[in-house]
Amino acid sequence: MSTAPDQQRREESAGLMEYSTESLVPFGPIHPALKEPEYFKLVLEGERIINVIPRIGYVHRGLEKAAESRPWVQNMYMFERTCGICSFVHSVCYGQAVEELTMFQTPRRAKYLRTIILEMERIHSHLLWVGLMGHWAGFDTLFMWVWNDREVVLDLVEAIAGNRVHKSMNAFCGVRRDLPENMTDRIVERMRFLTDRARYYRDVIDTEETMLKRTENMGRVSADTVEKLCAVGPMARYVGLKRDVRFDDPYAAYDEVPLDVITTTQGDVHALLRLRLDELIVSANMVTYAVQNLPDGPIRVKIPPIIPAGEHSSHCEAPRGEIFYYAKSTGGRTPDRIKSRQPTMANIPTALEMLKGQTLADIPIVLTAIDPCFGCMDRMSFYDTETNHKWTWSGEQLRQYGINYYFPERAKKQRDIARKAAPAANQCLKEEF
Amino acid sequence: MSQMSETLTQLEKYAEEAGTKITPLRKNESLVEVVQDRLEPFLGHLVNDLQIRHLMTITGLDLGQNLGITYEFFKERDTIHVRLLVPKTKPQAASIVNIVPGAILYEMELQDMFGIEFIGNPWKDHKLLLPDEWPADLPPPLLKTTKADQIRRRLGLEAAKP
Repeated sequence: MSTAPDQQRREESAGLMEYSTESLVPFGPIHPALKEPEYFKLVLEGERIINVIPRIGYVHRGLEKAAESRPWVQNMYMFERTCGICSFVHSVCYGQAVEELTMFQTPRRAKYLRTIILEMERIHSHLLWVGLMGHWAGFDTLFMWVWNDREVVLDLVEAIAGNRVHKSMNAFCGVRRDLPENMTDRIVERMRFLTDRARYYRDVIDTEETMLKRTENMGRVSADTVEKLCAVGPMARYVGLKRDVRFDDPYAAYDEVPLDVITTTQGDVHALLRLRLDELIVSANMVTYAVQNLPDGPIRVKIPPIIPAGEHSSHCEAPRGEIFYYAKSTGGRTPDRIKSRQPTMANIPTALEMLKGQTLADIPIVLTAIDPCFGCMDRMSFYDTETNHKWTWSGEQLRQYGINYYFPERAKKQRDIARKAAPAANQCLKEEF
Repeated sequence: MSQMSETLTQLEKYAEEAGTKITPLRKNESLVEVVQDRLEPFLGHLVNDLQIRHLMTITGLDLGQNLGITYEFFKERDTIHVRLLVPKTKPQAASIVNIVPGAILYEMELQDMFGIEFIGNPWKDHKLLLPDEWPADLPPPLLKTTKADQIRRRLGLEAAKP
């Protein structure tokens, strides 16, 4: 027999009424520490997730509407601020859509410079992600090592573009900064260093028990499902779909720089780790090739501020997958319509499929596996629909729960150490104050 | 190159069946305008027969009297925009989730931003990008007639304006 509050609660969770015996877990959206907020309604049967409904838009700032009232050039730097990790690729993609509307061609040297920055951005994004995977799996040493190596590539980006993340280096039909003199040897040497490190990390994830136990056989989805759900980037390549815009529809200098598209048919989170580390090595090779074969010539063609009427689209391969921009002009100083679509949006349906069948302890690792542009692990609140019992976990508690679930003996050891250390620590505090 | 033109040649055949034709926008980019009744069979041919299975996104457009819904497909260097026009007075279209399951979130996005109802979308009663408390009397935000000031005033956000 259902009571009135029960009835009301079921109506609130519209569409989920058929799961009356399962627990409904609201997940997110507020997360003070990590990137962006996101919200998922999880339906659990015991420990297993059986359905997920997403709710995004907590950081929707109306950029597409704002673009309609700003000049074409200003929009380039506004769209660059869409993402705080892969910023340059947004300005390149928007730029390409607009460049198609004009009669001007981008110089070859500028295309190479764009490729160099785009690939460095991919290296830094993939390193950031590998570190985060280490953190969520309970292997913080990996996190610290990888993020230390990430500084190497960020320093190079800063030396070339003047900024670490928001480069603001792109322009219509060109780039605003040339490669500084005598940088070639330094870049080649640093890329060799990063390649060695990536090979080492690949060995680590293949042999280290923590990573194997947390990532192997997690998040399996069939290739057919992934193709139907229109996943992009590494999320398509990890089940064997050869979907890479750099290869399918080359832009910048990708038709001249040698490129290997890495695919795997292993199809679990561990495959994603390997795949991204392999891609990192490919990117390092591409940067090396591009700086060694950088053509001479101008880096920019100046274009008038009024863009001729017409409509075009462009797509690029960001570190997370394909991004898409559409530009429509009526021949004025401002666009008539700009559409932008980010890779996380395209990958959410696949992520939901990945989550189904996993346990509560796997949520952080599986959600991080898609390399989302949101964090949202903090402040999970739970309630049991049967007993009406409510409780809240922070992201750190959820992470700890995941580690304890897989390594109970390690958690016990940590508790023992903490218990022994507590009296001594209290004594120290008393003496100090 | 031959593969690419073959895809487009076959597409032209299906476009003729649907009573329309392909307009090239530039090399490797074409536009097809389809009427509502013919959309579903046309997309069925596109996805199942020509194996153009990657839907990049769905773009909404405000074209004055009509709203444009552009399905952006991609296969091997060919970008194909399939455009459907719906009148502003009756903004309704059939959902294509049964043909392309990946379209589900893009349809929800258009529903929020342009007020187009997609009949058959399983999540059409949920909001995706707009807040749950978005006032019912406010028009969809991406229409040309909706001004940013109007939204700001209605939501009581004047103070945030510099």
